[in-house]
Amino acid sequence: MATKEVDKTLNYIPTKKKGFYKFSDSGISSYVMLAPFVLLFIIWSVYPVLSSLRLSFMRYNAICDDVQAPCGSVGFGNYTYLILHDSRFHKAILNTSLYVIGAVTLGLIASLSLSLALQADNRANRVLRVIFFLPSVTSGIAVVLVWGWVFRGDDIGLLNSFLHMFGIDPVEWLATPSLAIPILIFMSIWGGAGFGMVLFLAGLNAIPAMYYEAAVIDGANRRERFRYITLPLLKPVMVYVVITGTIGAFQIFEGVYLLFPTSVGSIGGLKDMALMIVPYLYDMGFNHFRLGYASAVAWILFAIIFTISLINIRVTKSLEDLR
Amino acid sequence: MNTKRTEKRLERKNDQLMERSGNFENPFEAKGKYAKFTRLPIYLLTVVMIAPYYWMITSSFKSVKELQHVPPTLFPQKWISGNYYDTKYDPNMFQQDVLQGLFQRFTKVKFGFARFFLNSFFITTTITILTLLIGSLAAYVVAKHRFKAKRAIYLVIIGSMMIPWQVGLIPGFLLVDDLGWLNTFMAYIIPALPKAFIVFFLVQYLSSIPDELIEAARIDGAREWTIYFRIVLPLLKPAMIAMMIFTAIGEWNNFLWPLIITQSQDMANLPVALALLKNSGAGNIGTQGVIMAAALLVSLPTIILYFITQRHFIRGIALSGIK
Repeated sequence: MATKEVDKTLNYIPTKKKGFYKFSDSGISSYVMLAPFVLLFIIWSVYPVLSSLRLSFMRYNAICDDVQAPCGSVGFGNYTYLILHDSRFHKAILNTSLYVIGAVTLGLIASLSLSLALQADNRANRVLRVIFFLPSVTSGIAVVLVWGWVFRGDDIGLLNSFLHMFGIDPVEWLATPSLAIPILIFMSIWGGAGFGMVLFLAGLNAIPAMYYEAAVIDGANRRERFRYITLPLLKPVMVYVVITGTIGAFQIFEGVYLLFPTSVGSIGGLKDMALMIVPYLYDMGFNHFRLGYASAVAWILFAIIFTISLINIRVTKSLEDLR
Repeated sequence: MNTKRTEKRLERKNDQLMERSGNFENPFEAKGKYAKFTRLPIYLLTVVMIAPYYWMITSSFKSVKELQHVPPTLFPQKWISGNYYDTKYDPNMFQQDVLQGLFQRFTKVKFGFARFFLNSFFITTTITILTLLIGSLAAYVVAKHRFKAKRAIYLVIIGSMMIPWQVGLIPGFLLVDDLGWLNTFMAYIIPALPKAFIVFFLVQYLSSIPDELIEAARIDGAREWTIYFRIVLPLLKPAMIAMMIFTAIGEWNNFLWPLIITQSQDMANLPVALALLKNSGAGNIGTQGVIMAAALLVSLPTIILYFITQRHFIRGIALSGIK
């Protein structure tokens, strides 16, 4: 009797599959449950990506009037023009690269130092951790508006009136080309260091205490313990922070859009000093309605991010193999 | 004799180590007479972190006259609420030093500034609920059902995370336009629903839950939907809470997509409204109080949500980062 019962339950997964059971153990419900996500995903994630690829090989402006605004295929025209001739785009790439390098390396150092400084679990550190994390949940636009006031060029600007106390003349912070990128980097670290800190704290807490104890017994000093235990064991977190940080930094938009407008309604500030890739994409797509061209910009952005992520993973892997 | 002494010394050293830093040895933690001063940089940085929030709060309560004061006052001489709602303001009369309060602006929009709160609140809650529902259903199927093409579907979903979302920006905009959804809530909500990261995260989480739990329910004759609602959802609760907070904060602060799809003021969400406000009073220092009031009101809800859900939040970040 008992064995029969067991047989019955084992037979729940039908041997002779019919209908939807041919494809799934759980019958049609697998598909019903998966359908909403997959359908929306195809329409709003897969299709736009493919369509964007098609657009990037076209001249397209949504009006497509044969006389005034013709549309049509241009082959690799958009790409070759962007890469070879478009000096605004070159400026955007240069600016973005400088910004990403600064924001990612300094951000990495800042968040690692913060996590080390605030690692001990006491009340003061818990409060400080919350404070450092606050920018990560605050609206970027709200924060940018405050920075806009801090970096105002006249003597009402906060930084200028602070400097005034030391007898320094007002500086046109947002209209000095050499200062644009550093200011954006500063804003990015202010806003992002707390997030990295939380990741590093999780990594630090995962390191077993006995490693340090063993090192102490072996006579390793503090610096050596940091160098040979903490750093190597934090490496996975570091890779994660660098990759996500790089991807995020490449997509900078809000700070440029609000702090560096130009008089003609385009983006980038004086002499395009703060022009970045995504603001340029926005400018081409939604100020100039060159939608095909803007799509090509988007795909170059993807190519850059993809390559850098791959290099990042490869480099860390080969470093690992060296050991 | 000698070994005993060594043992004792080691023990003492070990005790010291454990005492000093719990489970961790910190190279930044100084000893000796300078120990107090090494914390100084952290406290200085804390001031930098808090300053923008402090400035948001205090200047939103300053009068127009005080805002124009050079150098700026560090603390409001007189706390006034005129930046939020000025009872002295009369639209038919020009008065020196009296400005429209925040809630007296946007007169063409029904409910004025409060309208943007309603918009943001509706959009955020709807997206959060629906995206988690369809995401968790898909994750359950991917993690616990056996069926054809499962791996392929999951691979495409994960792969899409490699592509920066700006790539689909322009076709997404064109699609919304074709559907006639520009300037509607549909344009806000529907494209935001399929979030690959949520499926990825929940699949990871579900894979750590033993299959036997679900198999057992199946053998007991539970239908798939019952299993989902009675077993999977309760098990997913911690992961779902973390994803809920991430999604809600992300959508509340979302800027670029709303900026593109809104065409009239009454459909703006809060960040877009902030940008509108900034552009309307650009340069005039008197309106900075109103702008700061708005920035504060936009930031507060996410900060409060963060305070309430702090524990889940930090755990969620740790879970998503280190896997």
